[in-house]
Amino acid sequence: MPKCKKSEGQAIDYASKLLSTTEGEAFEQHLKNCSDCNQAVESFTTVLNLTDMAEKEVTLPEVALRDIEMNVYKRLAATQEESLFSRVRAYFANLESLLQWHKTAAASTLVISLITAAVLFGELYQPEVRLQLTESQSADARIEQYFQQDIQRHLDDAMITHHLRNDAWETESHLERVKEQTQGTNWMKVPQTLSFNKTTNEVAKGY
Amino acid sequence: MDKLIDDEMLVAQFQAGRQNAFDELMKRYKSKIFSYLLRSVRNYEDAEDITIEVFFKAYRALENWQPKAKFSTWLYKIAANLVIDYHRAKARHPVYALEDMEIPEANLVATDQYSNPVKELEEKELGRIIRDAVDQLSPKQKAVFILNRYEGLQLKEVAETLGMAEGTVKIHLHRAMKRLQTILNPLWENNDI
Repeated sequence: MPKCKKSEGQAIDYASKLLSTTEGEAFEQHLKNCSDCNQAVESFTTVLNLTDMAEKEVTLPEVALRDIEMNVYKRLAATQEESLFSRVRAYFANLESLLQWHKTAAASTLVISLITAAVLFGELYQPEVRLQLTESQSADARIEQYFQQDIQRHLDDAMITHHLRNDAWETESHLERVKEQTQGTNWMKVPQTLSFNKTTNEVAKGY
Repeated sequence: MDKLIDDEMLVAQFQAGRQNAFDELMKRYKSKIFSYLLRSVRNYEDAEDITIEVFFKAYRALENWQPKAKFSTWLYKIAANLVIDYHRAKARHPVYALEDMEIPEANLVATDQYSNPVKELEEKELGRIIRDAVDQLSPKQKAVFILNRYEGLQLKEVAETLGMAEGTVKIHLHRAMKRLQTILNPLWENNDI
């Protein structure tokens, strides 16, 4: 190892022929008076000669070299096929994920639709009171029941209309129609209890 | 094709749609890249595979390549990156294989009356020891040493290839030389050489 530390790097560069002409000449001047650097240069030169000799033995297989181009093009062709295949696969994967999303959306829509339908159907479908009439009941009694049902429905409508619209006039019109329909029935007593002067709330209470 | 056409011109021709230009580039660099890779990975099959990968990657990237550096430097850069990937993968999944460079003893027979199989074997063994010494360098030291010493790249080109400053390249080269000196010094001190 050179004691002249400053020049060790230069010894390596000199042995590796990395110094410029000027630097090389200056270092050669230094070598004339520095045995440490001379020893270093000799040592590094030996290292390089040895490694050069060893690496020179490394031979390239001609067959492999000859086939490089062909193998590169084979690799490119395989990738193009692969990319086509992967593109198709990716398309289907996307489609699948899209379908998955659609499935979720469809299921959600179905559930929401069912709930909505159930609510609406519950609102709209008012099961009619079954007529519990026996054979012995007279036709007049049946007619009377029909009237009662009809009147009741109209009264319900009137109440609902008032409740939703706060429309007293409409309510009264309904009640008028109820009154007309009750002519000749036992329900005559119903309109008698109602007065157009009363508020609808009172009507509701009275009813 | 005219040998005088420089690499950058061939790249331009390839980018203009002339496929043969890439064949010419491969013809020019396949030996250099292969030898660099062989020295880096010390395995013929792996070196061949990586060489193919280098040109494969170059082909795919060449369309958008800009001549910011020499084409050869760019090609070595691809190779150097693949060597790093190779060593990383090998460190994760070590494979213990027979030494590819080792010459089987059966092949060492006298071919003529002047040949000396024992001497040949000794030389081969010495060569293997020296190559092992190079393999003991750190990946960066080894890359710098091989690119500069055997591939003939200037320090500036080595710096571009490995993505480091020129000063750093020089430091790695000095360390590589000192390490080799430390490993190989006993060989000539014991008169083995």
